[in-house]
Formats: sequence, C-alpha cells, structure tokens
Amino acid sequence: MKSKQKYTQEELIILLREKNQNAFSYLYDNYSQALFGVINAIVKDTEEAEDTLQKTFLKVWNNFSSYDENKGRLYTWMLNIARNLAIDSTRSKHEKIKSKIQSTSHAVDGNDKDAFVIDTKHELIGFNTIINELNEEQKNLIHLAYFMGYTQEEISKKLNMPLGTVKTKIRQTLIRLRELTKKEILS
Amino acid sequence: MSIEEIITSGLLEKYVLGTANADETALIQSLCKTHPELVKEIEYIEDSLMSYSEQLAPPLNNELKNSILSQLPLQTKNQTDTKVVNVNKNQATIKLYQLGMAASLLLFVSSFIYAILLQQKLNKVNSELVQLSETKIYMANALKIQQTNNQTLNFKVQVITNPKFKPIVLNGMNFLVQKTALIYWNAQTEELYFNANNLPKSPNQKQYQLWAIVNGKPVDAGLVDATDSDSIFQKMKLVKGAQAFAVTIEPLGGNVSPSLQTMCLLGNV
Repeated sequence: MKSKQKYTQEELIILLREKNQNAFSYLYDNYSQALFGVINAIVKDTEEAEDTLQKTFLKVWNNFSSYDENKGRLYTWMLNIARNLAIDSTRSKHEKIKSKIQSTSHAVDGNDKDAFVIDTKHELIGFNTIINELNEEQKNLIHLAYFMGYTQEEISKKLNMPLGTVKTKIRQTLIRLRELTKKEILS
Repeated sequence: MSIEEIITSGLLEKYVLGTANADETALIQSLCKTHPELVKEIEYIEDSLMSYSEQLAPPLNNELKNSILSQLPLQTKNQTDTKVVNVNKNQATIKLYQLGMAASLLLFVSSFIYAILLQQKLNKVNSELVQLSETKIYMANALKIQQTNNQTLNFKVQVITNPKFKPIVLNGMNFLVQKTALIYWNAQTEELYFNANNLPKSPNQKQYQLWAIVNGKPVDAGLVDATDSDSIFQKMKLVKGAQAFAVTIEPLGGNVSPSLQTMCLLGNV
C-alpha cells in the first residue's frame, strides 16, 4: 500500500487541496508513524492512539482547505491537530473517571496540560532506542515542547528555568536528537 | 539578525513545534525564500522530531490506513471512481481505435484483393469482347456474303422463272464431254445470262469465252469470270439474232475470234 510516487511539499499541498487520494496515501505513509508516536506519548494507550490517529487523518483530509502554508509547516499543522485530538481524548477519559468517582472537590486550575506532564517517562521506554540516549531533562523538555505544545515561555515558568536557557536547551536537545537519528540511519 | 543568529536563536525550533507567533513565522518564511540553508535547517529539525516520535509507538499496521482510506467522504471516492471509469473509457477508446484500425486494415486488404479480382475479370471480359467483336466482324462479312449470294440467287430465280428467257443447254465436247452449261437468252431484250452448271474451273491462265453464232459467224458474247467459273451465274453481253452459242477456252482477256480447236461447248437455240 506504500505510495511509490514522491511529492515535494508544495506538490503535496496542491494535490491535497484537490482532494487527491494518492497524495493523501503518500501523506499517510510519510507522517502517520511520527504522529502516532506523538499521540501515543499523550494518550499512553495503543488502541486509543490508533483511534485518535484515524480521527487526525480524517480531520486532515476534511479540513485541508483550512491549512495555510504561510502560517507554518504542513507537519506542524498536522502535529497540532494530532496533539489537540489526543489531549481531548485523554481529557474526556479523565473526565469520565472523574465523574465515576464523583469527585467534585478537585479544583480545575485552568491549565489542563498539567495533568499529563508528570507520568510520561515509564510509558515511553518500551518502543525506542533514541529516548534512552536523552537525559531526563531533555526528555521532559521534548515532551513539553513537542507533545504538549507548550511555548518556551510556559516551559520556562513551569520548570522555573530562565527563558534563554529553555531556548538553548531545547535547541541542544534537538541537535542531540539529530545526531542520534543520523547515527541510527547510518547504522 | 544574521542567518546564523536566527539558526541559533531557537526560533526555528519554535516554528517547527508550532509555538512561533505570527511575526516570527512571517520573518522565517520571508528569509526562507532567499536562504535555502534556512529551509534545510528547518527540515533537519522536523526530521529529528519525526524520527524521535516515530519510535514512541509500535509500528502501525496497514489495516489502519485502509480503514482511514475507506472512511474518506464519498464525494472523493466518486472522484476516484470517475477517474477509474475515465481510464476504462480511455482503454475502451483505445480498444475501439485498435478495432477500427484492424477493421480498416481488413477493409483495405479485402478491397485490394477485390480490385485484383475485378482487374482479372475485366481483362477476361476485354478479351472476350475482342473475340466477340471479331466474331461480329466475321458474322457481318458472312452475312454480307450471304446477302450477296441471296441477291444473286434471287436474281437467278427471277431470270430462270421468267418465261421470256429461253434456256439453252450447251453440251460438252472434246475434253468437256458429259459436262453442260446453261444460258438464258431473252431474244426480245437481247439480255443473256450464263450459268456454269457442272462446268469445271477454267484451266490456269485461261478463260471461258462465249460466242453467239449469228448468221454462221461467231460474235463475242463476253468472258466468263475466271475465279469461280465452275459455279457462276453471270450476265453476258447483249446478243441479237443468234442461232447457236458456243464456248471456247482462250487466254486471259479473251480473243477477238474463237480458236476452233479449243471449242468445248455448243448448243443450238
């Protein structure tokens, strides 16, 4: 089912606007696993992650006309959709649990993202080699910036770290990731 | 800010991660148009992030993709269907063309063969026509001869059945013993006809010459045509007051006076 044709980003965008299924198939082949990883890191349940991935791609297909390349990369746009759907999914699950235990005393502090920051590490270790090469701080930075979509300012606040340091550390983490993925491609 | 500063500022990471604001995004995009190295850097960041997250979940199975593709709204499915139909239509058109070509070729070949057959038939008809026209000429000639013969016969019958013409038998003598010729003479009109009857052909370079014996003297009554002297019915000279007729054999062109030794036929009136 892998698409044989290669498209440039520009071609892909034009064809997707034309609702071209081959282009969509290509899009899926090239981006699904990365988005699946992001979703899985958020929902921490493979079945739920698959379900969310489906929703993500259907949303991408149906709402492609709303994608504006002047506002960002195609992957960034899809990442945002995936992230939001995954967070929604987790939130509704949490709310179900919440309503089940009929907890009313829990005050919502206005930042739902907080609920998912803490217990990330253990769930992620199973599937990858690269993640083990990163230190805890780097993992956490990536998690916040990449999966949760925190801004650098939000991370700075959250981790009580100067903004400049956040910027530098995120950059260093990405450079480290680049080295690791390169190494992996070579090996 | 120089390109190097942009790259190290962490702005590109923000851009890819989706947390850059509108101004930052506009700045990066305008710089990307003139600085391909910036685009490369952005792609590196994106690739790194993707490679990282790809490892954070088990590999996807293909069924999920099929499931998603099958859920795409019908309208787009129709598009694909239409495309397939179009392809089929094209193939059908191509097939139709091929069929058309084959048919034309067949038509051409059969026309060619038919043309050859027609040519052969035409040649045959032409030669038949030539034969026919030859036959026609032959028949026309034959008819002409027949008509001439008929005219002659009719004339002969008219003469013979006319009571005014007296038939006179000329009896053979010398080398023509037992042969006879007939002459028909109308004493009033002086018309005279010679009928060869069973006379043999006149000898080579010789001609029968008819003489009328008037008052004991031979008078030239004309030469018998040498070519068919054995069957001829011929009009001779006018003869007046003859008592007898005689035939001699003379050289071609005849004689002024008969040579008695060659006299072969004689008959009295």
